[in-house]
Amino acid sequence: MSGETVLVFSEEAEAIPGLLAAARAAVGPGPGRVELAVLADGGGPAGSAVGGADRVYRLLLPENARHDPELVAVALRRAQEAANPRLTLVASTKRGRETAARLAGATDSAVSTGVASFALEPEGVRIRREVLSGNALGEEVLLGPRPIVAVMLGAPVPAVPPTTPPEIIDVPPPEGAGRIALVERTVKPAGGLRIEAAERIVSVGRGLRKKEDLSLIEELARAMGAVVGCTRPIAAEAGWLSDDHWIGLTGHRVKPRLYVAVGISGAVQHLVGMRESTVVVAINKDPNAPIFAQSDFTVTGDLYTVVPALVRALSGA
Amino acid sequence: MSGPIRLWVAVKHGVDVVLARADRSTGTVAMDRAPRKTSDFDRNAVEEAVRIREKLGGTVTALTVGPPTSKEALRDALALGADEAVLITDPARPDLDGRGVARALAAYARTHPGFDLWFFGEGSTDHFTGTIGPRVAAEIGAPSLSYARRVSVEDGAVLVEREYEHELEKVRAAFPAIITVGQEINQPRVPTFMSTLKASKKEIRSFGPSELGVQPSDWAPLARRDRVFVPEVNRKRQAVSGADPATTARGLVDALRREGVLP
Repeated sequence: MSGETVLVFSEEAEAIPGLLAAARAAVGPGPGRVELAVLADGGGPAGSAVGGADRVYRLLLPENARHDPELVAVALRRAQEAANPRLTLVASTKRGRETAARLAGATDSAVSTGVASFALEPEGVRIRREVLSGNALGEEVLLGPRPIVAVMLGAPVPAVPPTTPPEIIDVPPPEGAGRIALVERTVKPAGGLRIEAAERIVSVGRGLRKKEDLSLIEELARAMGAVVGCTRPIAAEAGWLSDDHWIGLTGHRVKPRLYVAVGISGAVQHLVGMRESTVVVAINKDPNAPIFAQSDFTVTGDLYTVVPALVRALSGA
Repeated sequence: MSGPIRLWVAVKHGVDVVLARADRSTGTVAMDRAPRKTSDFDRNAVEEAVRIREKLGGTVTALTVGPPTSKEALRDALALGADEAVLITDPARPDLDGRGVARALAAYARTHPGFDLWFFGEGSTDHFTGTIGPRVAAEIGAPSLSYARRVSVEDGAVLVEREYEHELEKVRAAFPAIITVGQEINQPRVPTFMSTLKASKKEIRSFGPSELGVQPSDWAPLARRDRVFVPEVNRKRQAVSGADPATTARGLVDALRREGVLP
Protein backbone atom coordinates (compact mmCIF):
# COMPACT_ATOMS: atom_id res chain seq x y z
CA MET A 1 0.00 0.00 0.00
CA SER A 2 1.20 3.51 -0.58
CA GLY A 3 0.50 6.99 0.60
CA GLU A 4 0.14 5.97 4.21
CA THR A 5 1.89 7.03 7.37
CA VAL A 6 3.42 4.83 10.03
CA LEU A 7 4.21 6.57 13.32
CA VAL A 8 7.16 5.09 15.19
CA PHE A 9 7.88 5.52 18.89
CA SER A 10 10.24 4.07 21.43
CA GLU A 11 11.43 5.03 24.89
CA GLU A 12 14.73 3.37 24.08
CA ALA A 13 16.98 5.18 21.60
CA GLU A 14 18.65 1.91 20.54
CA ALA A 15 15.33 0.54 19.24
CA ILE A 16 14.54 3.49 16.98
CA PRO A 17 16.68 2.67 13.90
CA GLY A 18 15.22 -0.86 13.73
CA LEU A 19 11.67 0.48 14.08
CA LEU A 20 12.25 3.08 11.38
CA ALA A 21 13.54 0.40 9.02
CA ALA A 22 10.53 -1.85 9.73
CA ALA A 23 8.13 1.06 9.22
CA ARG A 24 9.79 2.03 5.94
CA ALA A 25 9.53 -1.54 4.69
CA ALA A 26 5.83 -1.60 5.59
CA VAL A 27 4.89 1.62 3.77
CA GLY A 28 6.99 0.60 0.78
CA PRO A 29 8.50 2.89 -1.84
CA GLY A 30 6.54 5.87 -3.05
CA PRO A 31 4.50 8.42 -1.18
CA GLY A 32 4.27 6.58 2.18
CA ARG A 33 5.57 8.47 5.19
CA VAL A 34 7.43 7.40 8.29
CA GLU A 35 7.14 9.75 11.23
CA LEU A 36 8.88 9.40 14.56
CA ALA A 37 7.98 10.38 18.10
CA VAL A 38 10.82 10.58 20.62
CA LEU A 39 10.84 11.23 24.34
CA ALA A 40 12.41 14.48 25.35
CA ASP A 41 12.44 13.91 29.11
CA GLY A 42 16.17 14.30 29.62
CA GLY A 43 16.37 10.58 30.31
CA GLY A 44 18.39 9.59 27.29
CA PRO A 45 19.59 10.57 23.85
CA ALA A 46 16.46 11.10 21.82
CA GLY A 47 16.99 13.12 18.67
CA SER A 48 20.16 11.46 17.40
CA ALA A 49 18.80 8.43 15.60
CA VAL A 50 16.33 10.08 13.29
CA GLY A 51 17.64 9.13 9.84
CA GLY A 52 14.75 7.73 7.86
CA ALA A 53 12.02 9.78 9.52
CA ASP A 54 10.10 12.32 7.47
CA ARG A 55 9.03 14.19 10.56
CA VAL A 56 9.98 14.04 14.24
CA TYR A 57 7.71 14.82 17.18
CA ARG A 58 9.59 15.63 20.36
CA LEU A 59 7.41 14.67 23.30
CA LEU A 60 8.32 17.27 25.91
CA LEU A 61 7.76 15.46 29.17
CA PRO A 62 8.76 16.40 32.71
CA GLU A 63 12.24 15.23 33.55
CA ASN A 64 12.58 11.46 33.84
CA ALA A 65 8.92 10.75 33.16
CA ARG A 66 9.34 7.44 31.36
CA HIS A 67 8.44 5.46 34.49
CA ASP A 68 4.86 6.67 34.08
CA PRO A 69 3.25 5.03 31.02
CA GLU A 70 0.19 7.24 31.45
CA LEU A 71 2.20 10.43 30.82
CA VAL A 72 4.05 8.81 27.93
CA ALA A 73 0.82 7.56 26.36
CA VAL A 74 -0.90 10.94 26.70
CA ALA A 75 2.01 12.61 24.90
CA LEU A 76 2.20 9.90 22.25
CA ARG A 77 -1.51 10.24 21.64
CA ARG A 78 -1.00 13.92 20.75
CA ALA A 79 1.66 12.94 18.20
CA GLN A 80 -0.70 10.26 16.92
CA GLU A 81 -3.47 12.83 16.47
CA ALA A 82 -1.12 15.09 14.53
CA ALA A 83 0.31 12.34 12.34
CA ASN A 84 -2.99 10.51 11.78
CA PRO A 85 -1.07 7.30 11.00
CA ARG A 86 -2.40 4.09 9.54
CA LEU A 87 -0.33 2.28 12.18
CA THR A 88 1.52 3.23 15.33
CA LEU A 89 4.61 1.07 15.77
CA VAL A 90 6.52 0.64 19.03
CA ALA A 91 9.20 -1.78 20.20
CA SER A 92 7.96 -4.80 22.13
CA THR A 93 10.08 -4.02 25.17
CA LYS A 94 8.52 -3.97 28.62
CA ARG A 95 8.03 -0.20 28.48
CA GLY A 96 6.88 -0.39 24.86
CA ARG A 97 4.18 -2.96 25.65
CA GLU A 98 2.94 -0.91 28.58
CA THR A 99 2.79 2.32 26.55
CA ALA A 100 1.06 0.51 23.67
CA ALA A 101 -1.58 -0.90 26.03
CA ARG A 102 -2.28 2.46 27.68
CA LEU A 103 -2.51 4.21 24.33
CA ALA A 104 -4.89 1.51 23.05
CA GLY A 105 -7.06 1.90 26.15
CA ALA A 106 -7.13 5.69 25.84
CA THR A 107 -8.07 5.58 22.15
CA ASP A 108 -10.15 2.36 22.22
CA SER A 109 -8.01 0.79 19.51
CA ALA A 110 -6.68 -2.63 18.62
CA VAL A 111 -3.24 -3.47 19.96
CA SER A 112 -0.90 -6.41 19.83
CA THR A 113 2.55 -7.02 21.29
CA GLY A 114 5.40 -9.44 20.77
CA VAL A 115 4.68 -9.18 17.04
CA ALA A 116 7.13 -11.04 14.80
CA SER A 117 5.94 -9.59 11.48
CA PHE A 118 3.20 -7.30 10.21
CA ALA A 119 1.78 -5.99 6.96
CA LEU A 120 -0.61 -3.18 6.07
CA GLU A 121 -3.58 -4.71 4.26
CA PRO A 122 -6.75 -2.99 3.01
CA GLU A 123 -8.82 -4.59 5.75
CA GLY A 124 -6.45 -3.94 8.62
CA VAL A 125 -2.98 -4.72 9.91
CA ARG A 126 -2.11 -8.38 9.58
CA ILE A 127 0.23 -9.60 12.27
CA ARG A 128 2.00 -12.80 13.16
CA ARG A 129 3.13 -13.52 16.72
CA GLU A 130 3.97 -16.34 19.07
CA VAL A 131 1.10 -17.73 21.11
CA LEU A 132 0.63 -20.65 23.52
CA SER A 133 3.86 -19.74 25.33
CA GLY A 134 5.77 -19.93 22.07
CA ASN A 135 4.46 -23.35 21.04
CA ALA A 136 2.52 -21.95 18.14
CA LEU A 137 2.22 -18.93 15.89
CA GLY A 138 -0.95 -16.91 15.62
CA GLU A 139 -2.16 -14.78 12.73
CA GLU A 140 -4.53 -11.93 13.44
CA VAL A 141 -5.90 -8.90 11.67
CA LEU A 142 -6.12 -5.74 13.78
CA LEU A 143 -9.23 -3.85 12.76
CA GLY A 144 -10.56 -0.37 13.29
CA PRO A 145 -8.81 2.99 13.36
CA ARG A 146 -5.42 3.71 15.00
CA PRO A 147 -4.13 0.15 15.54
CA ILE A 148 -0.94 -0.19 17.57
CA VAL A 149 1.70 -2.86 17.10
CA ALA A 150 4.58 -3.61 19.46
CA VAL A 151 7.10 -5.44 17.33
CA MET A 152 9.97 -7.69 18.40
CA LEU A 153 13.26 -6.33 17.13
CA GLY A 154 16.33 -8.37 16.40
CA ALA A 155 19.86 -7.17 17.00
CA PRO A 156 20.12 -3.36 17.08
CA VAL A 157 20.44 -1.71 13.67
CA PRO A 158 22.98 1.13 13.40
CA ALA A 159 21.43 4.59 13.19
CA VAL A 160 21.36 6.20 9.76
CA PRO A 161 22.27 9.88 9.70
CA PRO A 162 19.46 11.90 8.11
CA THR A 163 20.10 12.92 4.49
CA THR A 164 17.87 15.96 4.84
CA PRO A 165 17.04 17.25 8.31
CA PRO A 166 13.51 16.13 9.21
CA GLU A 167 10.84 18.57 10.21
CA ILE A 168 10.75 18.77 14.02
CA ILE A 169 7.56 19.43 15.96
CA ASP A 170 7.50 19.93 19.71
CA VAL A 171 4.60 18.30 21.55
CA PRO A 172 3.95 20.26 24.76
CA PRO A 173 3.90 18.36 28.07
CA PRO A 174 0.56 17.08 29.41
CA GLU A 175 -1.16 19.25 31.99
CA GLY A 176 -0.79 18.17 35.58
CA ALA A 177 1.74 15.87 37.17
CA GLY A 178 1.79 12.12 36.81
CA ARG A 179 0.38 9.86 39.46
CA ILE A 180 3.39 7.60 39.79
CA ALA A 181 6.39 8.88 41.74
CA LEU A 182 9.82 7.61 40.81
CA VAL A 183 11.56 6.66 44.04
CA GLU A 184 14.70 5.22 42.53
CA ARG A 185 16.09 4.14 39.19
CA THR A 186 19.26 2.15 38.80
CA VAL A 187 20.81 1.28 35.50
CA LYS A 188 21.80 -2.38 35.55
CA PRO A 189 25.54 -2.72 35.57
CA ALA A 190 26.97 -3.27 32.11
CA GLY A 191 29.39 -6.14 31.78
CA GLY A 192 26.93 -8.49 33.45
CA LEU A 193 26.17 -11.69 31.60
CA ARG A 194 24.47 -11.04 28.24
CA ILE A 195 23.39 -14.59 27.57
CA GLU A 196 21.60 -13.53 24.37
CA ALA A 197 25.00 -12.94 22.79
CA ALA A 198 26.48 -16.35 23.73
CA GLU A 199 27.62 -18.60 20.92
CA ARG A 200 27.43 -21.75 23.03
CA ILE A 201 25.29 -22.41 26.09
CA VAL A 202 25.30 -25.32 28.52
CA SER A 203 21.98 -25.14 30.30
CA VAL A 204 20.81 -27.00 33.38
CA GLY A 205 17.43 -27.91 34.82
CA ARG A 206 15.86 -29.78 37.65
CA GLY A 207 17.93 -32.88 36.93
CA LEU A 208 20.60 -31.23 39.05
CA ARG A 209 20.27 -32.46 42.63
CA LYS A 210 22.04 -29.75 44.60
CA LYS A 211 23.64 -26.35 44.18
CA GLU A 212 27.17 -27.67 44.74
CA ASP A 213 26.78 -29.87 41.65
CA LEU A 214 26.70 -26.73 39.49
CA SER A 215 30.48 -27.11 39.36
CA LEU A 216 29.92 -30.10 37.03
CA ILE A 217 27.93 -27.91 34.65
CA GLU A 218 30.44 -25.06 34.90
CA GLU A 219 33.24 -27.48 34.06
CA LEU A 220 31.42 -28.69 30.95
CA ALA A 221 30.70 -25.10 29.91
CA ARG A 222 34.39 -24.23 30.28
CA ALA A 223 35.42 -27.24 28.23
CA MET A 224 33.00 -26.22 25.46
CA GLY A 225 33.75 -22.50 25.58
CA ALA A 226 30.13 -21.99 26.60
CA VAL A 227 28.25 -19.91 29.15
CA VAL A 228 25.93 -21.49 31.73
CA GLY A 229 22.18 -21.14 31.31
CA CYS A 230 19.30 -22.59 33.32
CA THR A 231 15.57 -23.13 33.58
CA ARG A 232 13.12 -21.26 35.75
CA PRO A 233 13.24 -23.69 38.72
CA ILE A 234 17.01 -23.27 39.00
CA ALA A 235 16.88 -19.45 38.89
CA ALA A 236 13.53 -18.31 40.25
CA GLU A 237 12.70 -21.13 42.64
CA ALA A 238 15.98 -22.54 43.91
CA GLY A 239 17.95 -19.34 43.37
CA TRP A 240 21.07 -21.34 42.48
CA LEU A 241 21.81 -19.03 39.54
CA SER A 242 20.85 -15.39 38.96
CA ASP A 243 18.10 -14.34 36.56
CA ASP A 244 20.82 -13.41 34.03
CA HIS A 245 21.13 -17.15 33.33
CA TRP A 246 17.41 -17.91 33.09
CA ILE A 247 16.25 -18.98 29.63
CA GLY A 248 12.57 -19.13 28.80
CA LEU A 249 9.36 -17.26 28.16
CA THR A 250 9.85 -14.77 30.99
CA GLY A 251 13.62 -15.23 31.18
CA HIS A 252 16.00 -14.60 28.30
CA ARG A 253 15.56 -15.76 24.73
CA VAL A 254 18.72 -17.12 23.19
CA LYS A 255 19.86 -18.36 19.80
CA PRO A 256 23.35 -19.81 20.21
CA ARG A 257 25.00 -22.06 17.64
CA LEU A 258 25.11 -24.83 20.24
CA TYR A 259 22.64 -25.40 23.07
CA VAL A 260 23.29 -28.27 25.45
CA ALA A 261 20.29 -29.02 27.69
CA VAL A 262 21.40 -30.99 30.73
CA GLY A 263 18.75 -32.49 33.00
CA ILE A 264 16.07 -30.33 31.38
CA SER A 265 12.76 -32.04 30.68
CA GLY A 266 11.63 -29.34 28.27
CA ALA A 267 8.66 -27.44 29.71
CA VAL A 268 7.07 -25.33 26.97
CA GLN A 269 8.02 -22.11 28.74
CA HIS A 270 11.64 -23.16 28.54
CA LEU A 271 11.54 -24.39 24.95
CA VAL A 272 10.37 -21.01 23.67
CA GLY A 273 13.54 -19.46 25.06
CA MET A 274 15.97 -21.76 23.21
CA ARG A 275 14.07 -22.87 20.13
CA GLU A 276 16.09 -20.74 17.74
CA SER A 277 19.39 -22.42 18.65
CA THR A 278 21.22 -23.86 15.63
CA VAL A 279 22.17 -27.24 17.14
CA VAL A 280 20.50 -28.62 20.26
CA VAL A 281 21.83 -31.45 22.44
CA ALA A 282 19.71 -33.02 25.19
CA ILE A 283 21.10 -35.09 28.02
CA ASN A 284 18.38 -36.66 30.13
CA LYS A 285 17.60 -39.83 32.07
CA ASP A 286 14.12 -39.97 30.62
CA PRO A 287 14.05 -40.84 26.89
CA ASN A 288 10.44 -39.56 26.78
CA ALA A 289 11.36 -36.08 28.00
CA PRO A 290 9.79 -33.47 25.66
CA ILE A 291 13.21 -31.88 25.11
CA PHE A 292 14.25 -34.89 23.02
CA ALA A 293 11.76 -34.03 20.29
CA GLN A 294 13.33 -30.56 20.08
CA SER A 295 16.92 -31.77 19.87
CA ASP A 296 19.39 -32.74 17.17
CA PHE A 297 21.46 -35.06 19.35
CA THR A 298 20.10 -36.90 22.34
CA VAL A 299 21.89 -38.81 25.06
CA THR A 300 19.79 -40.94 27.38
CA GLY A 301 21.62 -41.19 30.65
CA ASP A 302 22.30 -39.80 34.09
CA LEU A 303 23.87 -36.37 33.86
CA TYR A 304 26.15 -37.31 36.76
CA THR A 305 27.75 -39.93 34.49
CA VAL A 306 27.41 -38.28 31.09
CA VAL A 307 28.71 -34.82 31.97
CA PRO A 308 32.04 -35.93 33.50
CA ALA A 309 32.56 -38.30 30.53
CA LEU A 310 31.95 -35.38 28.16
CA VAL A 311 34.43 -33.19 30.02
CA ARG A 312 37.03 -35.94 29.67
CA ALA A 313 36.26 -36.44 25.98
CA LEU A 314 36.61 -32.70 25.35
CA SER A 315 39.93 -32.48 27.14
CA GLY A 316 41.14 -35.34 24.97
CA ALA A 317 41.64 -37.67 27.94
CA MET B 1 -7.33 5.09 52.83
CA SER B 2 -10.46 4.47 54.78
CA GLY B 3 -11.61 1.10 56.02
CA PRO B 4 -10.14 -2.28 55.26
CA ILE B 5 -8.08 -2.64 52.11
CA ARG B 6 -9.97 -3.86 49.04
CA LEU B 7 -7.86 -6.03 46.81
CA TRP B 8 -9.02 -7.19 43.38
CA VAL B 9 -7.37 -9.77 41.19
CA ALA B 10 -8.17 -10.42 37.54
CA VAL B 11 -7.73 -14.03 36.46
CA LYS B 12 -7.99 -15.67 33.06
CA HIS B 13 -9.24 -19.12 32.16
CA GLY B 14 -6.96 -19.44 29.17
CA VAL B 15 -5.94 -22.18 26.78
CA ASP B 16 -3.81 -24.85 28.44
CA VAL B 17 -0.55 -24.56 26.51
CA VAL B 18 0.55 -28.05 27.52
CA LEU B 19 -2.63 -29.86 26.55
CA ALA B 20 -3.53 -27.83 23.44
CA ARG B 21 -2.81 -29.95 20.37
CA ALA B 22 -2.59 -29.12 16.71
CA ASP B 23 -4.70 -31.03 14.23
CA ARG B 24 -2.27 -33.40 12.53
CA SER B 25 -3.52 -32.80 8.99
CA THR B 26 -3.71 -29.00 9.10
CA GLY B 27 -1.15 -28.13 11.77
CA THR B 28 -3.62 -25.68 13.28
CA VAL B 29 -4.87 -25.45 16.85
CA ALA B 30 -8.62 -25.04 17.38
CA MET B 31 -8.36 -22.51 20.20
CA ASP B 32 -12.11 -22.45 20.89
CA ARG B 33 -12.14 -26.18 21.62
CA ALA B 34 -8.76 -26.45 23.37
CA PRO B 35 -8.59 -27.46 27.05
CA ARG B 36 -8.36 -24.54 29.44
CA LYS B 37 -6.78 -23.74 32.77
CA THR B 38 -6.02 -20.76 34.98
CA SER B 39 -3.23 -18.69 33.50
CA ASP B 40 0.04 -19.22 35.39
CA PHE B 41 0.92 -15.64 36.35
CA ASP B 42 -2.60 -15.03 37.61
CA ARG B 43 -1.79 -17.44 40.45
CA ASN B 44 1.10 -15.16 41.39
CA ALA B 45 -1.32 -12.22 41.29
CA VAL B 46 -3.80 -13.99 43.61
CA GLU B 47 -0.99 -15.08 45.93
CA GLU B 48 0.31 -11.53 46.24
CA ALA B 49 -3.15 -10.14 47.07
CA VAL B 50 -3.78 -12.91 49.60
CA ARG B 51 -0.42 -12.26 51.30
CA ILE B 52 -1.30 -8.56 51.66
CA ARG B 53 -4.67 -9.46 53.16
CA GLU B 54 -3.03 -11.91 55.57
CA LYS B 55 -0.81 -9.07 56.78
CA LEU B 56 -3.19 -6.11 56.73
CA GLY B 57 -6.70 -7.54 56.65
CA GLY B 58 -9.25 -6.58 54.01
CA THR B 59 -10.83 -8.61 51.24
CA VAL B 60 -9.62 -10.24 48.04
CA THR B 61 -12.05 -10.33 45.12
CA ALA B 62 -11.24 -12.43 42.07
CA LEU B 63 -12.73 -11.38 38.73
CA THR B 64 -12.81 -13.07 35.38
CA VAL B 65 -14.36 -12.43 31.97
CA GLY B 66 -15.53 -15.28 29.79
CA PRO B 67 -18.08 -18.05 29.32
CA PRO B 68 -19.55 -19.77 32.42
CA THR B 69 -16.81 -22.43 32.22
CA SER B 70 -14.37 -19.67 33.23
CA LYS B 71 -15.70 -20.11 36.76
CA GLU B 72 -12.96 -22.73 37.06
CA ALA B 73 -10.41 -19.92 37.25
CA LEU B 74 -12.46 -18.27 39.98
CA ARG B 75 -12.63 -21.55 41.93
CA ASP B 76 -8.84 -21.73 41.69
CA ALA B 77 -8.52 -18.18 42.99
CA LEU B 78 -10.91 -18.95 45.86
CA ALA B 79 -8.95 -22.10 46.70
CA LEU B 80 -5.78 -19.98 46.81
CA GLY B 81 -7.43 -17.72 49.37
CA ALA B 82 -9.60 -15.16 47.58
CA ASP B 83 -12.74 -14.22 49.56
CA GLU B 84 -15.19 -13.51 46.76
CA ALA B 85 -15.52 -14.11 43.06
CA VAL B 86 -17.13 -12.28 40.15
CA LEU B 87 -17.83 -13.63 36.66
CA ILE B 88 -18.47 -11.18 33.82
CA THR B 89 -20.11 -13.02 30.99
CA ASP B 90 -21.98 -12.29 27.79
CA PRO B 91 -23.89 -15.21 26.31
CA ALA B 92 -23.75 -13.51 22.91
CA ARG B 93 -19.97 -13.30 23.00
CA PRO B 94 -18.47 -16.14 25.01
CA ASP B 95 -14.89 -15.24 24.10
CA LEU B 96 -13.93 -11.59 23.98
CA ASP B 97 -10.69 -10.26 22.57
CA GLY B 98 -8.28 -8.15 24.62
CA ARG B 99 -10.23 -4.99 23.98
CA GLY B 100 -13.47 -6.65 25.03
CA VAL B 101 -11.99 -8.13 28.21
CA ALA B 102 -10.46 -4.80 29.22
CA ARG B 103 -13.70 -2.93 28.58
CA ALA B 104 -15.74 -5.54 30.48
CA LEU B 105 -13.44 -5.25 33.51
CA ALA B 106 -13.48 -1.45 33.25
CA ALA B 107 -17.29 -1.50 33.11
CA TYR B 108 -17.38 -3.59 36.29
CA ALA B 109 -14.98 -1.17 38.02
CA ARG B 110 -17.15 1.80 37.01
CA THR B 111 -20.35 0.23 38.31
CA HIS B 112 -18.72 -1.23 41.45
CA PRO B 113 -16.22 1.43 42.46
CA GLY B 114 -13.98 0.92 45.44
CA PHE B 115 -10.89 -1.16 44.82
CA ASP B 116 -7.63 0.01 46.38
CA LEU B 117 -5.22 -2.30 44.53
CA TRP B 118 -6.05 -4.38 41.50
CA PHE B 119 -3.63 -7.13 40.56
CA PHE B 120 -3.14 -8.72 37.13
CA GLY B 121 -0.66 -11.27 35.86
CA GLU B 122 1.82 -9.46 33.65
CA GLY B 123 0.69 -11.60 30.71
CA SER B 124 -1.40 -14.68 30.05
CA THR B 125 0.13 -18.08 29.38
CA ASP B 126 -1.77 -18.48 26.11
CA HIS B 127 -1.56 -15.09 24.39
CA PHE B 128 0.90 -13.12 26.52
CA THR B 129 0.19 -9.68 25.11
CA GLY B 130 0.61 -8.16 28.57
CA THR B 131 -1.87 -5.45 27.69
CA ILE B 132 -4.97 -6.06 29.82
CA GLY B 133 -3.82 -4.52 33.13
CA PRO B 134 -2.52 -1.22 31.71
CA ARG B 135 -5.41 -1.12 29.24
CA VAL B 136 -7.99 -1.35 32.02
CA ALA B 137 -6.03 1.32 33.90
CA ALA B 138 -6.24 3.64 30.89
CA GLU B 139 -9.99 2.94 30.53
CA ILE B 140 -10.75 3.87 34.14
CA GLY B 141 -8.04 6.51 34.56
CA ALA B 142 -5.93 4.72 37.16
CA PRO B 143 -2.15 4.58 37.40
CA SER B 144 -0.63 1.28 36.26
CA LEU B 145 2.52 -0.15 37.79
CA SER B 146 3.67 -3.08 35.71
CA TYR B 147 6.17 -5.92 36.08
CA ALA B 148 6.25 -5.79 39.90
CA ARG B 149 8.75 -8.14 41.56
CA ARG B 150 8.08 -6.75 45.02
CA VAL B 151 5.03 -4.94 46.38
CA SER B 152 4.76 -3.19 49.74
CA VAL B 153 1.69 -1.41 50.99
CA GLU B 154 2.17 1.83 52.89
CA ASP B 155 -0.53 4.07 54.28
CA GLY B 156 -2.90 4.46 51.34
CA ALA B 157 -0.14 3.93 48.81
CA VAL B 158 1.84 1.16 47.22
CA LEU B 159 5.56 0.83 46.59
CA VAL B 160 6.56 -1.36 43.66
CA GLU B 161 9.99 -2.64 42.73
CA ARG B 162 10.33 -3.72 39.13
CA GLU B 163 12.85 -4.67 36.51
CA TYR B 164 13.14 -3.48 32.92
CA GLU B 165 15.57 -4.74 30.30
CA HIS B 166 18.30 -2.30 31.33
CA GLU B 167 17.01 -0.66 34.49
CA LEU B 168 15.61 -1.34 37.94
CA GLU B 169 12.94 0.98 39.33
CA LYS B 170 11.17 1.70 42.57
CA VAL B 171 7.93 3.59 42.07
CA ARG B 172 5.10 4.69 44.33
CA ALA B 173 1.44 5.48 43.69
CA ALA B 174 -1.53 6.32 45.87
CA PHE B 175 -4.62 4.07 45.88
CA PRO B 176 -6.38 3.10 43.69
CA ALA B 177 -3.73 1.56 41.47
CA ILE B 178 -3.36 -1.31 39.04
CA ILE B 179 -0.36 -3.61 39.39
CA THR B 180 0.85 -6.39 37.12
CA VAL B 181 3.11 -9.10 38.52
CA GLY B 182 5.47 -11.64 37.05
CA GLN B 183 6.43 -15.10 38.21
CA GLU B 184 9.44 -13.87 40.17
CA ILE B 185 7.28 -12.08 42.74
CA ASN B 186 6.33 -15.11 44.80
CA GLN B 187 5.78 -18.84 44.85
CA PRO B 188 2.00 -19.40 44.85
CA ARG B 189 0.78 -21.76 47.55
CA VAL B 190 -0.67 -25.14 46.64
CA PRO B 191 -4.38 -25.29 47.49
CA THR B 192 -5.25 -27.80 50.20
CA PHE B 193 -8.07 -30.29 50.02
CA MET B 194 -10.00 -28.20 52.54
CA SER B 195 -9.46 -24.89 50.72
CA THR B 196 -10.57 -26.48 47.44
CA LEU B 197 -13.67 -27.92 49.09
CA LYS B 198 -14.52 -24.56 50.67
CA ALA B 199 -13.95 -22.80 47.35
CA SER B 200 -16.36 -25.15 45.59
CA LYS B 201 -19.14 -24.02 47.93
CA LYS B 202 -18.63 -20.27 47.65
CA GLU B 203 -21.04 -18.17 45.68
CA ILE B 204 -19.86 -16.71 42.38
CA ARG B 205 -21.66 -13.54 41.41
CA SER B 206 -22.39 -13.19 37.71
CA PHE B 207 -22.80 -10.01 35.66
CA GLY B 208 -23.82 -9.45 32.04
CA PRO B 209 -23.60 -6.40 29.77
CA SER B 210 -26.93 -4.90 30.85
CA GLU B 211 -26.04 -5.06 34.55
CA LEU B 212 -22.76 -3.29 33.81
CA GLY B 213 -24.43 -0.56 31.80
CA VAL B 214 -22.76 -1.34 28.51
CA GLN B 215 -24.02 -2.10 25.04
CA PRO B 216 -22.81 -5.44 23.72
CA SER B 217 -21.19 -3.51 20.83
CA ASP B 218 -18.92 -1.83 23.39
CA TRP B 219 -16.94 -5.02 23.58
CA ALA B 220 -17.16 -6.15 19.97
CA PRO B 221 -13.83 -7.54 18.75
CA LEU B 222 -11.19 -5.28 17.23
CA ALA B 223 -8.96 -8.18 16.27
CA ARG B 224 -9.83 -11.14 14.10
CA ARG B 225 -7.91 -14.25 14.94
CA ASP B 226 -7.35 -16.05 11.68
CA ARG B 227 -5.40 -19.09 12.71
CA VAL B 228 -3.04 -20.57 15.25
CA PHE B 229 -0.59 -23.06 13.86
CA VAL B 230 2.39 -25.04 15.00
CA PRO B 231 5.53 -24.37 13.01
CA GLU B 232 7.35 -27.50 11.94
CA VAL B 233 10.25 -28.54 14.11
CA ASN B 234 13.13 -29.71 11.99
CA ARG B 235 15.48 -31.37 14.43
CA LYS B 236 17.58 -34.42 13.68
CA ARG B 237 16.59 -36.27 16.86
CA GLN B 238 19.64 -38.46 16.51
CA ALA B 239 20.32 -40.68 19.54
CA VAL B 240 23.97 -40.91 20.53
CA SER B 241 24.92 -44.01 22.50
CA GLY B 242 27.94 -46.18 22.95
CA ALA B 243 29.15 -49.21 24.84
CA ASP B 244 30.09 -47.06 27.82
CA PRO B 245 29.82 -43.38 28.87
CA ALA B 246 33.27 -42.57 27.47
CA THR B 247 32.38 -43.91 24.02
CA THR B 248 29.04 -42.08 24.06
CA ALA B 249 30.78 -38.87 25.04
CA ARG B 250 33.36 -39.20 22.26
CA GLY B 251 30.58 -39.92 19.78
CA LEU B 252 28.76 -36.75 20.79
CA VAL B 253 31.88 -34.58 20.69
CA ASP B 254 32.71 -35.92 17.21
CA ALA B 255 29.18 -35.25 15.98
CA LEU B 256 29.28 -31.66 17.30
CA ARG B 257 32.69 -31.05 15.69
CA ARG B 258 31.29 -32.32 12.38
CA GLU B 259 28.46 -29.81 12.76
CA GLY B 260 31.09 -27.13 13.25
CA VAL B 261 29.63 -25.94 16.55
CA LEU B 262 32.54 -26.94 18.78
CA PRO B 263 36.03 -25.55 18.37
